[in-house]
Order: sequence, then structure tokens, then C-alpha cells
Amino acid sequence: MDNLVLSNIRQRPTRTLISTAGVALGVILIILNTGLARGMLNDRIRREQGVGAEIQFLRIGAQTFSTSNFMPLDVRYADRLKKIPGVRTVSPFGHYLQSGNSGLGFEMVDAVELDTYSAISNLRIVDGRAFQADDEVIIDEFKAQHGNIGVGDEIQVFGNKMKVVGIYSPQIGSRIKMSLGALQRALSQENKCLGILVKVDEGAAPEEVARRIDAELPGNKVVLTQDIGMNFGGQIPGIQGFIRAVMGLSMVVSSLVILLAMYTTITERTREIGILKSLGASKTYIIGVIEKEAVAISAIGVVAGLALALIAAFGIERATSLRLEFHWTWILAATLIGLGAGVIGALYPAVRAANQDAVKALSYE
Amino acid sequence: MNAILKTEDLKMVYRVGKVDVNALRGVNLSIAPGEFVAVMGPSGCGKSTLLHILGGLLKPSSGRVMVDGEDLAAMSDAARTDLRRRKIGFVFQRFNLFPTLTAEGNLKLAERIHANGKSGLDATARQEILRLLRLENKMRHKPLEMSGGEQQRVAIARAIINRPSIILADEPTGNLDTENSTIVLDMLRELNQEFRQTIVMITHNPEAAAVASRIIEMRDGAIVKER
Repeated sequence: MDNLVLSNIRQRPTRTLISTAGVALGVILIILNTGLARGMLNDRIRREQGVGAEIQFLRIGAQTFSTSNFMPLDVRYADRLKKIPGVRTVSPFGHYLQSGNSGLGFEMVDAVELDTYSAISNLRIVDGRAFQADDEVIIDEFKAQHGNIGVGDEIQVFGNKMKVVGIYSPQIGSRIKMSLGALQRALSQENKCLGILVKVDEGAAPEEVARRIDAELPGNKVVLTQDIGMNFGGQIPGIQGFIRAVMGLSMVVSSLVILLAMYTTITERTREIGILKSLGASKTYIIGVIEKEAVAISAIGVVAGLALALIAAFGIERATSLRLEFHWTWILAATLIGLGAGVIGALYPAVRAANQDAVKALSYE
Repeated sequence: MNAILKTEDLKMVYRVGKVDVNALRGVNLSIAPGEFVAVMGPSGCGKSTLLHILGGLLKPSSGRVMVDGEDLAAMSDAARTDLRRRKIGFVFQRFNLFPTLTAEGNLKLAERIHANGKSGLDATARQEILRLLRLENKMRHKPLEMSGGEQQRVAIARAIINRPSIILADEPTGNLDTENSTIVLDMLRELNQEFRQTIVMITHNPEAAAVASRIIEMRDGAIVKER
């Protein structure tokens, strides 16, 4: 071994391992969190667009993926919507947001009028029957298969046990569906809904129908379903802030680990710094040696972090109903943050080493 | 005499707590190119301080230090480092090799630093030095896999690999047995004769000093005798 950087990395396996783990942790945090946010949202968008309604009619300020269980819209708007030319079918809906059964993330429950909803979406019951009582729900095939749930089993909704009476196909909207009336009664919001799904007549342009709705019922929000996926960050309130916080946290954690590791290393190697100085190594050279070492450690950490994140994602998808999707921009961001943490974390120890007194460093025991 | 190393009224005062310690009290010294000078004296007489100042590792409190025509005392830390890189090779009592690098790695590191990070010496020149120091078979060994004598020979090879005009050796035989001390001293004399490098060697050992062409004796921070 004739390379100082590589030989130091190999010679101090524990230090290298701890530093690598610190950087890898940051990378895993970024990859998994952004992967989860993206995967869950895209999965939800795909299923939302699969419902078949071209238009969603909402109150101003309401959102399809609202994290609130408040239902601000009067269901009687459905009757007024039906009268607008180009509108074929309407179906009011609500959502109930609860924490995921696996303890990870959240889970949405759709509250629908099954007859109108089925007319729009072609939903069909493939096992069991439709819900009739307030404590009955139906689930999609994915949830049934993944959660090993069958007709007659009970699942938690509102913190109460509700009976699964049917399994439906295809996978559209939320994976659990209950009666809109039951949700209204449970939340004491009679005759209210979150929004109304609108199916347009065959051959009618959804944009034109949407304009008519807007003209007829001004002061509300008319959203084309095809546009739901356009604003990734804006769909879930606070998601961008959350991702930024995760990235910042990852940067800080990785930088601190590298700083501590390199600081300890520099103290251990004080004498070696003195030798470098006696050989005529400039401050820039010494800083370069230490920075190269930190970047090499960070690079190993980034690769390990990416590999572990992929393995963890595979495990999460198998063990839960959560979905992860990776995008090269986040992988690039995690890589740059990992390497950047190495550079920043090693900077202070490197400058400190370069400024050491050569004679004192040479006599260091 | 055209001196390669010259000091004029060189003084060095250390501050230890609230007390000033005079390590050098006006040293005047002139060493010609190719000379082999031994510096002797009891512990604390200022030998190492003198050597560190001559090598640019320390800045004197006052006086002049001319190294091959350049005044070290007037230079910034960066300029002294650069001069050391270009003109000076150090040999230490404790060898000071990088323990994680092989002998060859230690030599290549010195070459890279000398070449400012670029690839260093050509292989033929390196082989010539290795032959002279009888180290051809030790290149793949790490310091801890070598004897003290072998380590010191690698340290000498590292000091001379870039052909500096001055070698500063701080007790190079201090950690060696008699047999290895003789080998190392013979090699220093051989290098001095073959490459005409100026050598300044600190030693406590009169037998080691005897290989030098001139012996300087120091006491209490001043030169008291030359022979």
C-alpha cells in the first residue's frame, strides 16, 4: 500500500466503519423518506386517476389528499351538478385518514355512495357483498392479499373494529371503502362530503364541462383529475418542508459523524502531521490529504447507504402496504449530501491539522 | 567561504509559563556545501532547536538564517515550508516513517510532496538510492516489519530521495544498536561523498561524531568549541 489516504482507511477499520455508517445513515434517511413520500403519493394519484371521474368538485381550500377529516361540501351540490350539460354521473365522497395498520405512515378510508361510485368507476365486488351497515367495509384485492384479510374478518377503522364484508376490484381510490352515510354519522357531519366526483358524457371535453361547472357554481374548486399528479409537492401539505428537514438532518448527522471521526483521527495522527510538515508538505497539501480521506469514506458510506436503502425498501414493500419510488434526482441529492457532509465535516479537523506546530507535532507521543 | 548554511547572532527564546528560556544565545555558524558537520552537546544545550531552525520548522526570535542564499528568518511559514520541500531532508532519531505505508510508499509520498502532488522521481533514480542503501528487497515491507536499522535506512532514503542539498539528522543512531549505528553512519558518509550533500547531524555519541568532517560543541545555547 503506497497511498496514504487508502492505507489510513484500511488501517483504521473501526473508525472507517463508524464514519461510513454515519454517512450511510444520512443517505438512507433521504432515500427512504423521499422514496416513501413519492411512492405513496404516486400510488395514490394512480389509484385516484383510476376511479374514472374526469372532474372533482371541491370547496375552495379543500384538497383531494386532505389530511383533515372535515367535510366542507353539502351533498346537495350533487343534484345541481347533474343538471349541468355534459355531466353524466356524480358521486359525493369523503375521506377518513388514520394511521397505517403496520404503524408506519397513514391510511386513507374512502367513504362513498357505492351505487354512483360503481357507475363511475366500474367497481365490482369479487368476493362477499357490498357494505350495508355502518360498521361494515369493503377492501381491495391488494389489501386482502397483502394483509391476509378475508371476508368476515375485522379491521380497525376510527379506532373501532369494522367487519370486512366484501372484496372489490380494480384497485382504485383508497384500499378501504365504507358508506358515506356511515362516515357522516360517525363524524356528526350530516349531509356533508369532501367533494363530488363527476363523470362526463361520452365525447364531452372534460375541460369544457369543468368551465361550465365553474360558471354555474362559482366560488368552488373544479379540478381535472388528469391534473392531480402535476403538482407533486403541493398535494400533501408540508411535504416539501418535511423533505427539506430530512435532508438537512441527514447533512447534519453525517457531517457530525465525519467531524468527530476525523477530529479523533487527527489527534491520533498528530505525529504524522509533523512528519508531513518536515517533508515540506504545505497546508493545502495536508488539508487535501485529510479531505480526500473524508471524501473516500463518504463515498463508501454513500454506496453502502444506497444499497441498504434499496434492501430496506424491498423489505418495507414486502412487510407493509407502503410503496416506495426512487427518482434519480433524490439519489443524486443523497449522494451530493453524503459527499458534501464528508467535505464539510473534515474541514475543521483538516485546517486544525494544517496549522499545527511542526516541532510540537513531531514530539507528540 | 561560500556557505550553504549560515547563521548570524541567532537567538531563540521560549516562553514557558511566565518564564523566558533562552534556547539559543547568539549562534554564529557557517557551513560550506558538501560539508558533514556533527553538533554535540548535553541535553538542553539547544542542538535540536538549532536543527529545527536550520530546517525551517521553527522561526528564530532574532538573528539571520541563510539557507543557500535565502533568509529563513524573514520568511513566512508557507515560504519556509516551500524551502524545506525544495532543499532540505530530515532524518529523525525515531525514524518517523508512516506506519501504514510500505517502505516504497514512504518514499513515493516524499516524492509526491517534493513534486507538489504530481508523480515524483523516475524509477531509475529511486533504484539507485535503494541500491546504495541496500533496500531493494525491503520495498514491500511496512516499518513494523523491519529492524530499526532498516527503518532508519528507509528514513535516510526518504530524506535523500529528492536530492536535497542539505540533510539534517537529529540523533540518527540514537535508537540503534552498535552494528546498525555503524551501518547508518557509513551510509551517511557514503552519501555525503557520493552526492556531495551537506549533512548536519546532531549526536550525543563521540564515535558517531567522528565520521563528520567538522564537530561543533554547544553548551547553554551557544557554540563553545569547533574542531
